[in-house]
Amino acid sequence: MSDSLERSTDVEWLEHAIAAGELESCRAELGAGGLAASKRASLYCRLAEALYYRGQAADAVDCADAAFELEPRCPAIADFCAWLFSNCGQHQAAAVAYRRLLEVRPDWAAGYRHASGSLAAAGDIDGAIQHAARAAELEPNCAEFAVHTGLLLAGAGLHRDAIGYFSRAAALAPDDPAVLRHFSSSALALGERERALDLARRAHVLAPGERENAHHATETMLRCERIDEAAELISAVLAGGNADATGYRLLSAAEMLRERIEVALDAIERATALAPERAEYHQHRGNLLYRLARFDEAAAAFDRAAALEPENPAPKRSQLTVYFDSGRFREALAVGGELIRIEPDNEEYAQAVLQVLNRRFETLDGDYVVLGERPAPPIRTLRPPPGLWSAMQTQWRVIHALIIRETRTRFGDSSLGYGWALAEPILHILMLSLAFAVLMHGRPPIGTQFFIFYYTGIIPYHIFVHSSSSMTYAVTANGSLLQLPLVHTFDVILARGLLEFVTDIIVAVILLTGFGAIGLAAMPHDFGGVAAACIAVWLLGCGCGFVNAVINAFCKSWDKLWAQLTRVLYFCSGIFYVPGMMPGWIRDRFAWNPVLQAVDWFRSSFFADYQPHWLDRTYLMTVVGVVLLAGLSLERGLRRSLCEPL
Amino acid sequence: MIRLEQVSKAYRTHNGRKVVLDRVNATFAAGHNYGILGVNGAGKSTLIRLLAGSEPPDRGRVRRYCRVSFPLGFGGTFHGALSGRENAAFIARIYGAPLRPTIDYVGDFAELGEYFTMPVNTYSAGMRARLAFAACLAIEFDIYLIDEVTEVGDQRFRRKCADAFRARMTHSDIILVSHNPQTVRQYCDYGAILADGALSLYDDVGAALTRHHRMLQDAA
Repeated sequence: MSDSLERSTDVEWLEHAIAAGELESCRAELGAGGLAASKRASLYCRLAEALYYRGQAADAVDCADAAFELEPRCPAIADFCAWLFSNCGQHQAAAVAYRRLLEVRPDWAAGYRHASGSLAAAGDIDGAIQHAARAAELEPNCAEFAVHTGLLLAGAGLHRDAIGYFSRAAALAPDDPAVLRHFSSSALALGERERALDLARRAHVLAPGERENAHHATETMLRCERIDEAAELISAVLAGGNADATGYRLLSAAEMLRERIEVALDAIERATALAPERAEYHQHRGNLLYRLARFDEAAAAFDRAAALEPENPAPKRSQLTVYFDSGRFREALAVGGELIRIEPDNEEYAQAVLQVLNRRFETLDGDYVVLGERPAPPIRTLRPPPGLWSAMQTQWRVIHALIIRETRTRFGDSSLGYGWALAEPILHILMLSLAFAVLMHGRPPIGTQFFIFYYTGIIPYHIFVHSSSSMTYAVTANGSLLQLPLVHTFDVILARGLLEFVTDIIVAVILLTGFGAIGLAAMPHDFGGVAAACIAVWLLGCGCGFVNAVINAFCKSWDKLWAQLTRVLYFCSGIFYVPGMMPGWIRDRFAWNPVLQAVDWFRSSFFADYQPHWLDRTYLMTVVGVVLLAGLSLERGLRRSLCEPL
Repeated sequence: MIRLEQVSKAYRTHNGRKVVLDRVNATFAAGHNYGILGVNGAGKSTLIRLLAGSEPPDRGRVRRYCRVSFPLGFGGTFHGALSGRENAAFIARIYGAPLRPTIDYVGDFAELGEYFTMPVNTYSAGMRARLAFAACLAIEFDIYLIDEVTEVGDQRFRRKCADAFRARMTHSDIILVSHNPQTVRQYCDYGAILADGALSLYDDVGAALTRHHRMLQDAA
């Protein structure tokens, strides 16, 4: 090799060497100089070509550079260099070479097109647009030039200028779907929705098998709010076996806009399965899951998106929301910190993080007692609703407790307490008997003793009046106790009646023993009849008591009226006289009074020789039944209104 | 477990009918503590009374598969003329609890001193609440219904209540109404939001609190 170099530097040898592939030695030889500039330049070009084809692009570019420097004005050299530079990615240099060529051939339309391409690739968009426009001007019938110019203009945001070129291109090549698609994009950017839609549809119809057209048409429809049409189109494309990730993504968007979140989720899951590396898909999936309130899964989807694009704030912003909403403030705060790091000046992010911080303060453990964690819920045994027997037991417990309570409160402040409840009627009867005994000398209408006679009138009367009057206040006086779920209005009313009955019976027994003790012959001849009369008059009192209690809860002055009525009854019930002393027609009217009937029942059982013909026990029991039924149904029917909180 | 079946409840106010529940179906599962949230006037206390049985629903059924406490709230369940002791005895009697130990427990827990034998009318609000707590805890319930009274008394008494409930929570549950998110978080693992006649249950109290917080913000 070395001796051949010594021999000659002539052109033919070099051409031969290049053809033989001795490229390195040729390059060294050319670098040594010696030959004429034009010869060297052309040899450099041939060497560069050979190097390029051998794959040594960098060396090829160096050689082409050398050639271009040696003969900058030679069109052939410039032409070759422009070709080589473009192919080797040296767009800047290629652009210079094309410009040089265009200086020589100012009408070379394709040259302008090539120069525009190189300039655009080198980043000089303005230059690229100028050259492209020139090319399109020189050859107005070439659709490709027009499309190229339009795309450059559209890329620069100059849609109004771009649309002119696109429409020209569309006129020249009406069947090219790509042209229509670009045209549609610019029209949409300018807000010409109908035109954009029409073009997008035409592009899709021209080449329905091309996904790009289908995607563009769908996207255009979505932007033009033709949601249903978009969903149908993309579904049809996907069903036609042309399934791909972008298609499913678009279908998901369409279904989401149709509020069919579940269907949208299904579509995006297909898309993520096909293209798991797309962060935006995971982001979209997370949004859908969030809308379905499946917070945990949404969080996982956002986590995936954030992991795929660690510097993208959008997934992190979504993470923040979903963590916040599921109460995971610690994680929300951590992701908020990253968000602030990525975009420290974004006000919305700062606000969101501030919200998390505020909630964190609210939920930080303070100085109160923190109860133990309960990782798994403890097992509870369920009780069946109580049966009849246990319900009755409970009711009896409640009534019993209420009776005991009433004995404490009936004479609340008195130190005698329930003792006073007994003493009061005893004193009452004694005083009354004493007064009549002194005033009316002689014999009482029945029996021999005034005391006994009045006793037989007063006791049944008291049983009636005490129970019916006391029950009147049962609901109004026990409002707070009715807040206890076990305590019902029925219980508090009945408890009062029972207490009065028990009290009056005790009073009656005490008085009777007292009379016996002082030597008065005072034994009833028929204990059973006396007891029956007492129960009958008490039931009558209870019936009235239930009615009173209900009325009094709605009409506060009812108790006054009832008090007047009981006073009238005192005179109409044959307490200090016997109806037999009255004229017959008055007695027949008075006999309708059930309390009088009860008093006479009591007396007829007490005194063997007193059997009034107007006494009608069946009538009395009928009245008792009717009144009791009325009282209980009133209570039952209006129970809800009675126990409203006061 | 308490189950609401198609429960409706409304009450009259000065501004017309106020619907608290509108055909609500819900189950308060056993083994969980629920925090009930809602804006003022949503009817949280009414809901508690419905759960307790202090008030009947207008329609539907409330089924209780356990012993539910009376509502532990500021609205007294005590008779003013009776002493704290007598009221405690009354509660013990109606729930069939042993009388003497119950009274002793209440007297001990409520720390009312000589007031325990004086009429409840003479008590301060705090003392009444302490008595209510003691009386409620004295009875073994499966579910305790607490309405806004967890902030009674001083720090020490609150700690005592929390300790007592913690001990009770091994075999009982709590349904709680409170405006304090800390309290809800402290006692409850599940949440419920009452709004516009609907009751939504949450199996995460944090989520319920956040929703509620949002609602308050939207309302503001």
